[in-house]
Amino acid sequence: MAKKEWPKPSPKLLEKTQHLMHDGFHQRAFPDTPYELPTALGDARWTDELIASAWYMAETGECPDHLNYKTGKSGGGFDRLAFKELPEEQQLAADAEVDITLELNRRGDERNKRTIDVPWYGGGMSYGSVSVNVMMSRALNAKKWNTLMSTGEGGYPSELYECADNVITQVATGYFGVEEKSIQAAPIIEFKYAQGAKPGLGGHLLATKAGEEVAKMRGSVPFVSLFSPFPFHSTYSVEDHMKHLDWVKTINPTAMMSVKVSTPHDVDMVAVGSYYAGAHIIHLDGGFGGTGAAPEIAKKNIAMPIELAIPKVHKFMQMEGIRDNVTLIASGGVRTADDMAKAIALGADGCVLGTSDLVAMGCTRCSNCEGGPSGRGCPWGLTTTDTELQEWVQQAWGADRLDKYYTALAKRMKEILRQLGLSNIGELRGRTDLLRYIAGGEA
Amino acid sequence: MLAADFQETSDNMVEGSVTIQLPVAEQARLNRKLADTYHRYNIDAVETENRNKYPRRFNVKVGKIGLAKLLFKEFFKYFGHWDVVFSRPCTYGVFSGPVGGFAPRPDLCVGCLRCEVQHPEFVTVTHNKELAELGDSYLTSKHIATIDEESRKGSVPVRGQGYRGRFGGPGFDQMFTDMSEIVRPSRDGIHGRELIGTSVDLGSKPMRLKFGADGGLLEAPKMMTIQVPFFYSPPPDSVATGIVPEILAEAADKVDTLLFLPENTVTNQGLAGPHVVPIIAPGQIGNIESHAKGTRMVEMSSWNLTAWNQVKEHPLLVSIQLPLAGDWMSTLMEMVDNGVSIIHLITDHHGVADDGRFVMDLYQEAHFALVDKGCRDEVTLIGTGGIAGADHLPKAIITGMDAVGLDYPLLIAMQARLTGDTKTRGAAAVKLPSNLDKGWGVQRIINLSCSWRDQLLEILGAMGIREVRRLRGETGRAMWCGHLEAEAFGDIEGFPGGEH
Ligand code: SF4
Ligand code: SF4
Repeated sequence: MAKKEWPKPSPKLLEKTQHLMHDGFHQRAFPDTPYELPTALGDARWTDELIASAWYMAETGECPDHLNYKTGKSGGGFDRLAFKELPEEQQLAADAEVDITLELNRRGDERNKRTIDVPWYGGGMSYGSVSVNVMMSRALNAKKWNTLMSTGEGGYPSELYECADNVITQVATGYFGVEEKSIQAAPIIEFKYAQGAKPGLGGHLLATKAGEEVAKMRGSVPFVSLFSPFPFHSTYSVEDHMKHLDWVKTINPTAMMSVKVSTPHDVDMVAVGSYYAGAHIIHLDGGFGGTGAAPEIAKKNIAMPIELAIPKVHKFMQMEGIRDNVTLIASGGVRTADDMAKAIALGADGCVLGTSDLVAMGCTRCSNCEGGPSGRGCPWGLTTTDTELQEWVQQAWGADRLDKYYTALAKRMKEILRQLGLSNIGELRGRTDLLRYIAGGEA
Repeated sequence: MLAADFQETSDNMVEGSVTIQLPVAEQARLNRKLADTYHRYNIDAVETENRNKYPRRFNVKVGKIGLAKLLFKEFFKYFGHWDVVFSRPCTYGVFSGPVGGFAPRPDLCVGCLRCEVQHPEFVTVTHNKELAELGDSYLTSKHIATIDEESRKGSVPVRGQGYRGRFGGPGFDQMFTDMSEIVRPSRDGIHGRELIGTSVDLGSKPMRLKFGADGGLLEAPKMMTIQVPFFYSPPPDSVATGIVPEILAEAADKVDTLLFLPENTVTNQGLAGPHVVPIIAPGQIGNIESHAKGTRMVEMSSWNLTAWNQVKEHPLLVSIQLPLAGDWMSTLMEMVDNGVSIIHLITDHHGVADDGRFVMDLYQEAHFALVDKGCRDEVTLIGTGGIAGADHLPKAIITGMDAVGLDYPLLIAMQARLTGDTKTRGAAAVKLPSNLDKGWGVQRIINLSCSWRDQLLEILGAMGIREVRRLRGETGRAMWCGHLEAEAFGDIEGFPGGEH
């Protein structure tokens, strides 16, 4: 199918558009401008204030005083949990050292040992769902922060090799773009069994976004819709799953194994099974997670929100006596530093961010990532590979936004720990006694 | 067409079978031909545009002076760089009309807010109040917008980004459906959805078959099959006659489901047929004889033992309505004890019974009462009330219904607007599009049915369930938000009913 390719923007057009966009984020997010938040911005999960505060943080590296950057208005889960801060005199001093690093390999085997500087990393967004510029922005930032980001299922653009030590190679059910080379390059291989936004439904890249380059990377025909099936058609048991991991371990004898699953009723069993099959990281992706395209019916209705899955898995793994041998990572509706700290208090070791990275780079949560009526994808240049639109996000700018955003998140994370009198993020894990449920409204 | 209908004439063939005396090649050809006659059930959706203008999602206001100033400034600043001068923030064409931003085309706006963020000094984008005001407290403008899209395109709504709404919620939102992560009873997934069955049986499933001395079946089971686990319930009184029943009857025929209608409408409008179920008052149940023209099933509008005794041996299937009011459980048991095989549970349009409880609880009560009684498979439970979105279908089935009735969504698909008392069954004032015609209406209903069936397949596919019949009453496939919250947060201070 032939499709109109838009010309790459001229340097002048790029300069003008970027200036207007960047200035716009500033004008809307800062208190010293004459403009208020757009009335149509935000929703119950990502309120206008959460979005604008991400823009503020991505420009300043600070948390805003004038916006609620902690919680949304969803009426449940993270939005009803608050921390039991200690009285001020019992809190750690503002300059007290607080360790928020996270060790990922707890199996005690011979594979990579890896400690990341913050208890979170970037979730999978495939080439095709986002551009190389967005992938590189995230990868460069991951490198700077000694953390990671995942390729998603769409191959490994050559530019990423520059940051290979910070890039997780994802193997998902369609095996799109999976190559020996990219498996060998990765410190962690992530098996994506399911995605929270569309659990049990596989993946979908709409035809309009599967352009020439994307198709080449995925070994497919341009402008033809691509489906990743569900499930892995070679995996119908934990034993099959183990064979899967063994196959990849043979190709890359040092990489850690991560298993990404969604949150069904028996998520605890799935997690334990994955551990015994050899996983170092169990990555739970809750039902409110992000996506480039998913059936609307799947987003709310199938599988459970991450807040409800974490304690279930954490406690079950404790009972099984394996909790300290595995890293439990939570994603899917984790929006803020406060959400991350709450997820850890509920039992996770760390979190994965996806949508938050995009919001920091300008996403307004308009839900047109799948292509929208224009078929060109994100008008902000994020979830698109359109030759013109993808240029709105330049790598250096994107990486800088994320760097500042992560700076603010880290500050807030440390502040929470100090307020709770904790000097190490590991001490927060499973500490539900430090949480309070706000029954009458949002936290 | 099934094998039994196969018409090939050959000395070596009897109808519907092929003997082994044929040469191999000839036999293979005939087998191929026989196989090709198999028709897989399919709903033919065809994109069908709105007849009436649907309220747009957003309003876009552009300050003319601000825009003029900007253009003036940019004209000189970027003189000669015409790509820059003529660039627009909107990739959806809102500012691409003949006079650009001076006459924006808000119908095209998808709310990305790029224009407003880039030009805060003169562009404002707001949600359209006219859209937000559609519907009522239960069937919200969001449901209506979704139904509009589904009946227009006939496909599954797909969008980018994650869920935008509230955490749990009332009604059907209390339930999350399960999925099967690795071990799946069927290999359906995205490439196998066409193998999932959505047909359901109405009537009493025989617990055993009885054969005569000659080996023949003594008694054929009294049941019928529809291809989808939903049917069309009668429209409100204000549109109970005229074009609406005609549209619904034809759509029911094409989708291979049922339309329930008052018997006088069926008779007066000549709508009798295999896909129409006349609803007959108990006092008039003798009229059943007059509905012989292809009718497969009738419904009695309320429980009445005398009337039931009159028709229980009749060859037509008979369902009986049971409003979920008062001591409905005793009535249910009485009906079951007297051999009623299809019971139609009914609530108001918000799915609420007279005691204020929601259908999901009541459906479970009815279902499990019959399970406990050991007769669940001998009775078909169908329910009408509160179905406003595609996700409600599997949820109602999980809570125990064999099939559920659609009411308002059918009218919304035809771009009807409802006013007045929208809660009480039959009471709403319905304003139909003035240019409603039958062909258009039928296709919109078919599209909605196709979209909802496909969305049901998504849910079943995620669970790894091969047929919807197995979903009935499978509460193990449901995750209740309240239960999960109690499990997850029960030990957290302040959680209602928790340890603290
Ligand atoms: S289209 Fe772009 S701005 Fe809109 S939700 Fe997707 S990433 Fe965000
Ligand atoms: S909000 Fe987005 S879609 Fe709407 S007019 Fe502005 S740029 Fe166009």
